[in-house]
Amino acid sequence: MVLSTIKNAIKYMVKKPYTRQVPRKDDKYRSENLRGAHILYMDRCTGCSMCQRVCPAACIDMVVVEGDWPRNHRKRFPRIDHSKCTFCALCVEYCPFNALSMTDATGFELFTTDKSRTLKMPQDLKPIGKETLTKQKLLSSYAPSYALKKFVETLEGSRKVSPNG
Amino acid sequence: MGDKGKLVQVYFGPQHPGAPGNIGYKLWLDGERIVRAEVIPGFLHRGFEKMMENRTWEMSITLSYRFCVEDPDPLEIAYALAVEDLFSAEIPENAKYIRMIQAEFSRIASHMFWIHFIGGSTGLRTPAYWAVTAREEILKWFGWYAGHRVYHNISVPGGVRYTLPEGFIERTLKVLDFVEKTVKDVEKALMRNSIFKARTIGMGKLSTKEALELGVTGPVLRATGMPYDIRKARPYLNYDKVNFEVPTGSAGDSYDRCRVRFQEIYQSIRIIRESLSKLDPSEPFRIKLPIVAPAGEGIARVETARGEYLVHIVSTRGRQPYRVRLRSTSMPLLTTVVNYIIENEEITIADFPVLLASLDPCAPDLDR
Repeated sequence: MVLSTIKNAIKYMVKKPYTRQVPRKDDKYRSENLRGAHILYMDRCTGCSMCQRVCPAACIDMVVVEGDWPRNHRKRFPRIDHSKCTFCALCVEYCPFNALSMTDATGFELFTTDKSRTLKMPQDLKPIGKETLTKQKLLSSYAPSYALKKFVETLEGSRKVSPNG
Repeated sequence: MGDKGKLVQVYFGPQHPGAPGNIGYKLWLDGERIVRAEVIPGFLHRGFEKMMENRTWEMSITLSYRFCVEDPDPLEIAYALAVEDLFSAEIPENAKYIRMIQAEFSRIASHMFWIHFIGGSTGLRTPAYWAVTAREEILKWFGWYAGHRVYHNISVPGGVRYTLPEGFIERTLKVLDFVEKTVKDVEKALMRNSIFKARTIGMGKLSTKEALELGVTGPVLRATGMPYDIRKARPYLNYDKVNFEVPTGSAGDSYDRCRVRFQEIYQSIRIIRESLSKLDPSEPFRIKLPIVAPAGEGIARVETARGEYLVHIVSTRGRQPYRVRLRSTSMPLLTTVVNYIIENEEITIADFPVLLASLDPCAPDLDR
């Protein structure tokens, strides 16, 4: 009989709709661990190209940004192509100087009809949402002694790079 | 059309709503009956095995799951397990339980999506939409825990990437309760429906011997009555430390396959509930593996929602694999099984989408 289907269908008919309209500007989907658009802290970046090397989608390349960068004498910073990026956060995890992190800006907030705008220059990698995923968060899954050692290494590494190289 | 004895050729897919993803069939029809089917693969070929040879161990994780949208997590876990086998590394207990939760949630989400697929094929879209709401809750859970809804990147060689966020157990139990309630409603509405029964009972039968000869694993094999499940036969992770049953069918027809999948959802919920109680937030979730792998081989076999999946890695010492081999679970389902059933049974063009849906193949898995 189809009665069982009808009986259950009536139960669901009186419930409020589950679906919601997208895209919508209010009530965006947010979570604490969301891996969205990147943030680049240009003052921390040394231009070591580690992010470029670990990127599985090869969406990062290093470009020169003119200016006074005491820690980055070659003035090389990562440029990220959002149309290729898979937002896997390997660049955040492997950055030795804690210069990259991710925000909760994702999905419809990043949509654009102009393909040239998906190529994010280092200066464009500014926080456009709340910072969610950082290197510390990813390190916390290791045993505390290893995570602490790695974090201290990162700090020492950043100190070692003096203005004179 | 209509000439006696003349076969009509029809193309079915890849754009057809009844086709299981990006795959096509060339069908030869005698009236309404399909007498021959030829699979047309290759619409989604990306060459993952070759791409993995040019990427380091940790980078290949992002490739390892991309050929099955419905059920990506066991593929990711299998790759991580194979790399750990190569390194002879033992991962923390917490990582094992988190991986089990991840894999079982993925299995439930995959079966939920399958309900929508078979519901659409049999004309019962109403209960199918309820199943999609339960899947949506699981995807939201993944978005909350791992940061992405579909491709999660939770398991990496060495363990899992994320620790337990605040309120992890409560939220997971809440999702499980919602899913369990919805599945019960869907099961009642779908499996007891006379139209659904008429379309599936006795259609697409396979015996255990035939299924084994055709290379079938997973729910399609278990529906024939054989309780073969890698999680029991060769336990990986901590599947030997939790209690669950392997549901089996008896007739091996489309209806039995559906019944087995519904039972599997309940068993997965049971596994997740038990795994949650064994997590210890004070222990680590991940170990650091060396950058350079030793020369040798790593093998992992896991039970995905569609059957047994295998990853075989060969390393000649270095940062990248020499060769990665991935065993597809859907290959026999879409090729030999479909042809065998069509040759031995009267399958009409209207039955064909229902037959494909009952096998639940994943077309990109075939192309890779």
